[in-house]
Amino acid sequence: MKSPAAACLLAALLLALPVGAATRDEDPTEALVRHIAKDLRCAVCQNQSVYESNSDLAKDMLRVIRDKVREGQSEGVIRDYFHQRYGDYIYLEPTTGGMNRLLWLGPFVGLLAGGWALLAAMRKWRAKPTATPGNDPPPAAPDAAMQERIRQELEQMRL
Amino acid sequence: MNGAWKIILLGVVMAILGLFALGLENDPRNIPSPLVNRPASDFTAPALNGGQPVTLSALRGKWVLVNFWGSWCVSCVAEHPYLMELAQKTKSRPDFVMIGVDFRDTPAAARNFLARHGNPGYPHAMDPEQKIAIDWGVYGAPESYLVDPGGTIRMKHTGPLFPGWFEARALPLMEGGKTP
Repeated sequence: MKSPAAACLLAALLLALPVGAATRDEDPTEALVRHIAKDLRCAVCQNQSVYESNSDLAKDMLRVIRDKVREGQSEGVIRDYFHQRYGDYIYLEPTTGGMNRLLWLGPFVGLLAGGWALLAAMRKWRAKPTATPGNDPPPAAPDAAMQERIRQELEQMRL
Repeated sequence: MNGAWKIILLGVVMAILGLFALGLENDPRNIPSPLVNRPASDFTAPALNGGQPVTLSALRGKWVLVNFWGSWCVSCVAEHPYLMELAQKTKSRPDFVMIGVDFRDTPAAARNFLARHGNPGYPHAMDPEQKIAIDWGVYGAPESYLVDPGGTIRMKHTGPLFPGWFEARALPLMEGGKTP
């Protein structure tokens, strides 16, 4: 009596195991298609990837990518195919090669140059007052005319 | 020292202003095609009129204007009168032909378009899945490419061709640099 019930329970538990879950996974072709399409700009919609866009051009580009993946072309070859036709614009993430390196490195070079200039300037500001205190000539004694003016101004203030 | 800094600063400011001035002339939508001065990718596609398939490489030895269009494209309607005029005007030229690539379209819709707006008479290749268009780096319609007799793309024009385009843009290329 006990053993058939236990067997039933065991069978039920075994059936519930996610053994078949692997079949739900995407097939590898489609995963590669998605991977490639996610970094290609849908040419007519500015800031959407080919994968996300619903435009006709994006759908057809997706089809072209899928055909090429099925033919066994590698990711690099497919990306190059689009790059040769649409230029740098087609990549959602700009490449770091060639003239683009200037754009990537420029800000850091600018920051360094600015920091260096600021440091040099600060050093100069700090050096000035300590280096020349004794060298200042003593103020000349005001002459008679000046003394007269000072006296007048002080008088006015006393009003 | 101070004077030198002033000159450098002035130079930098002038350079930035110069870049801005250049930027004013730039249309950010006009993305230069990397295909210019590259060999045109060949295609053979069914013709709209059902006759011989259209093959680009069969036209070697002539300058070929490849016009990408579709019956769904509004700007193509605006461009059409000039295409009609150009086809008429260049009919007698032995060194120049025109072909159309009708992409993302059905033959019925395309025939309808030509019936309504006039038929310039040159052949049209059908490209329903825009495979040719993508192969040629086309963003939208209309876009036109000028292919030289050696099969190299020499110019891309994005948007409708304007009246006088042939004389202003194509002829100088055709007369100046023959085959590179």
